[in-house]
Amino acid sequence: MATVAKLKSILIEDMNLEDIAPEELNADTVLFGEGLGLDSLDAVELVVVIQKHFGVEIKDMEEGRPAFQTIGTLAAYIDEKTAA
Amino acid sequence: MQTNTPENAAKTTRRWSSRSIGSHLQHQIFYVLIRMGGRRAAYLLLYLVVLYYVLLCPSVRRKSGHYLRRRFPGRGAFGRLLDCYRMSLELGKALVDRAVVGILGPASMDVELVGRERLLEIQAENRGIILVTAHVGCWQAAMSALGFLQTPVNMLMQREPGDIDRHYFEHQGLDCPYKIIDPQGFLGGVLEMMQVLKKGEVLCVMGDRVFGSDKNTVSAQFLGAEVAFPYSAYKLAATTGAPIVVLLSAKTGPASYRLKLAGEIRVPSRPGRGAAAFAPYVTEFVQVLEEYTREQPYQFFNFYDLWSTPDDQG
Repeated sequence: MATVAKLKSILIEDMNLEDIAPEELNADTVLFGEGLGLDSLDAVELVVVIQKHFGVEIKDMEEGRPAFQTIGTLAAYIDEKTAA
Repeated sequence: MQTNTPENAAKTTRRWSSRSIGSHLQHQIFYVLIRMGGRRAAYLLLYLVVLYYVLLCPSVRRKSGHYLRRRFPGRGAFGRLLDCYRMSLELGKALVDRAVVGILGPASMDVELVGRERLLEIQAENRGIILVTAHVGCWQAAMSALGFLQTPVNMLMQREPGDIDRHYFEHQGLDCPYKIIDPQGFLGGVLEMMQVLKKGEVLCVMGDRVFGSDKNTVSAQFLGAEVAFPYSAYKLAATTGAPIVVLLSAKTGPASYRLKLAGEIRVPSRPGRGAAAFAPYVTEFVQVLEEYTREQPYQFFNFYDLWSTPDDQG
């Protein structure tokens, strides 16, 4: 849950989503499309932001596809990588 | 008339098509002619085929007219027809040349690369290269001439089911010399694009067309009016630190092409969020493209209305 909370604030600050309050987001919030409203180019920035804050690199499509679904799946991916 | 701003482009479905104008049989006739009589034999037939299409197919005149009206605003009806013929002929020659290279081998075409040393210097920075090109000349000639870089070349490319034009390597059943990244893939292929740049490879993107209903566009003045151009390449450059090189090809003789390093664009990291932050860099590319249309007015191959908006189309 700590990762979800940190991820929420990072998304708002680093992705400049100031019009969204942290309490509006939860683990089930979809990152791209209708959810958080991020688009494919935001994914570029998101990869960099995750590496900067968590030291986790999303290397390819196979890793990125399941991780980039919701805030929860991304947090789980980060936890898995940092625990390894 | 409303201009083609990014907001409008967001609503736009794709207006261009890579679908071939000729039938499969017509293409085969050209391939046989090239095998039997070389490039000249194919050109002879091409002159007649283009004349047929220009005179008898209004859609050919309409599609080329969007650009030609902007490039040659003062032309009368006959002049416009002549322009349409010349432009269609240049496109036909580029397609024949592509087939000639595939069937008769790369030695059948001279390709001069202007800026080769600079390209090697940029490669030595080890940050990958984003090669922004456009639908001008014969972009496949550009691809085939990048072997000296000795690094994989990746191409962001979408191919439609109706596109029966063979790429040059397909004529001899060879593997594709570059890796294709599908913009319709997951997240538009951006993760793959980032990865190839990280490995120091070359990523080639078309800077003059918007894929699908891509809202990632920014408007720039092109031939006197606003056109929405994609800025994804510039955002990738800002994020990865990769330099952008504008490489444009032009047919310079019956069997010769020139590839020119026509521009070098450096996008600082985090120039800001949103389309406006990337407008200066997109404009740099568009200025290079406009300069190209001044030098090679009949080798610009976008046969749709770049300047229109969804509202214009009703």
